[in-house]
Amino acid sequence: MRWLVSLTAIRFKDAQQKGVAIRSTGTQGKQPCGPHRRRDGDRVPAPPAARVRLVAVIALVLSIGAWRGAAAAEHDDPFEPFNRAVFQFNRVVDGLVLKPASELYGLIVPRPAKTAISNLLDTLRAPIVFLNDILQGERERAGITLSRFLINGSLGFFGLFDMASEFGYLKHDEDFGQTLAVHGVGEGPYLMLPILGPSNPRDAVGLVVDSFLFDPMRYVAPTRVRTTRTVSAAVVTRYELGPSLDELERSSIDFYAALRSVYRQKREAEIRNGRPPADSGYEEIFNETFDDPAPDRAPAEKN
Amino acid sequence: MRRSTIPPPIGHRPRRIEASLADCCGRRGLLAAFAAGSLALAAGPADAGREEEAAAFIKRIADRALSILSQTDKDQKTRIAELERLLEEATDLDLIAKMVLGSYWRRATPDQRRRYLELFRKLVRKELASKINRYSGERIEVVGSRDIDDRDTVVSTLVHRAEKQPPYRVDWRVRRSKGRFLIIDVVAEGVSLLITKSGEFREIVAKRGIEGLLAGMARQLEGEDTQSQVRS
Repeated sequence: MRWLVSLTAIRFKDAQQKGVAIRSTGTQGKQPCGPHRRRDGDRVPAPPAARVRLVAVIALVLSIGAWRGAAAAEHDDPFEPFNRAVFQFNRVVDGLVLKPASELYGLIVPRPAKTAISNLLDTLRAPIVFLNDILQGERERAGITLSRFLINGSLGFFGLFDMASEFGYLKHDEDFGQTLAVHGVGEGPYLMLPILGPSNPRDAVGLVVDSFLFDPMRYVAPTRVRTTRTVSAAVVTRYELGPSLDELERSSIDFYAALRSVYRQKREAEIRNGRPPADSGYEEIFNETFDDPAPDRAPAEKN
Repeated sequence: MRRSTIPPPIGHRPRRIEASLADCCGRRGLLAAFAAGSLALAAGPADAGREEEAAAFIKRIADRALSILSQTDKDQKTRIAELERLLEEATDLDLIAKMVLGSYWRRATPDQRRRYLELFRKLVRKELASKINRYSGERIEVVGSRDIDDRDTVVSTLVHRAEKQPPYRVDWRVRRSKGRFLIIDVVAEGVSLLITKSGEFREIVAKRGIEGLLAGMARQLEGEDTQSQVRS
């Protein structure tokens, strides 16, 4: 988690530098090129190390531009060997810690308590959802999230009971990764994050923004409370995902590839907020024809 | 949002609308005719009625599946056989299997194709049989349908669970060919079975070839029993 934060911090610093550089060259262009100006402009070229980073950032920005809007091809996974290694690591950690913890949670916590815990976690997350609703221009959904927060925070006894659903304000989720997507940022290459699981640069940045910038708990709650919340959210999420994950693992030959596909589709559906896809990028699968006869012998292939 | 109540007979679509229009003009006058006309327009002039027919088709299939699943007093083997018959009747399994492989299908030899289709069918049946005792009173409600192109329609359903839990959304993609509907994809909460399988299978073929995929499928078919024994 920490490496991600430092990574974003570096990017942010570089972006600031880039902003300065662009602004300075801009004024330089407008001014007559007197010797005084030129000396001032001498500060503009960054030192070599910073310039390398600058180039890296520009390349990153350009490549994000290239991802814009393009639906990812199913095989688009340039870091696959790395991702698979992380996936193996995650499965070991999951088997040792997360899965047993979630199973224990499933066994010992009675159902009403489970519902209450889940409701409480949802209520704590509501401000993040609300901010992202707003940033996506989803006024109606923002209203629902706000109503849910107010109703469940009061009538729902500090968020333990989901009274808002009784009034017809049903739960939905949002995150900053989805907000970025709504504003045209492409997902980029698939990324398997340690512990956190399937992701991509866009959603990883979204996660950092949500947890370190948008989350009010960050500013008001003591560290111990936040840690408790994070750990219980992890256990509850693992518990709720359990059956689907087991099912997917059981029914797949290559669990990694199946999970990658499911993650991408799920995100796409979440970004659309339930609206039908304009162009899913998968339509070609359905448009193929299979009339041509089989070749006489297999073309050269491995095995 | 279209709710279908009575399943209309397949293949009699245009005549039904003409008939209803004639009825309205003759008996209830201009106003009713106008209302019916605007309804027909709203349904789409090109292929009016296909959405409704597809919705009715899914409703019928879902009802049959649920009735098989809920007859727990019946012999399990009979119920599995009934489900398999329904599967063959309602879905185009061969087409699904081919679409999963996509362009790799074209490169497969006749023998590979035959073995692939056979393994695919067996795997789907195995999957289906494993689910037979998982039914716990779910109810399926058709909430809408939408034409994708000139062959395919997506029928949206909500699966209501018995417990006090929010329903989940399942979309059924049906293709109309030779006057009948066949299911070609199931999309649960935005995740398509076909797309997931094709992502997985194509990756395996790209790495290990078609023979590698066939070997994996065969292992999956055998391994499942031992795996579930370990788990339970």
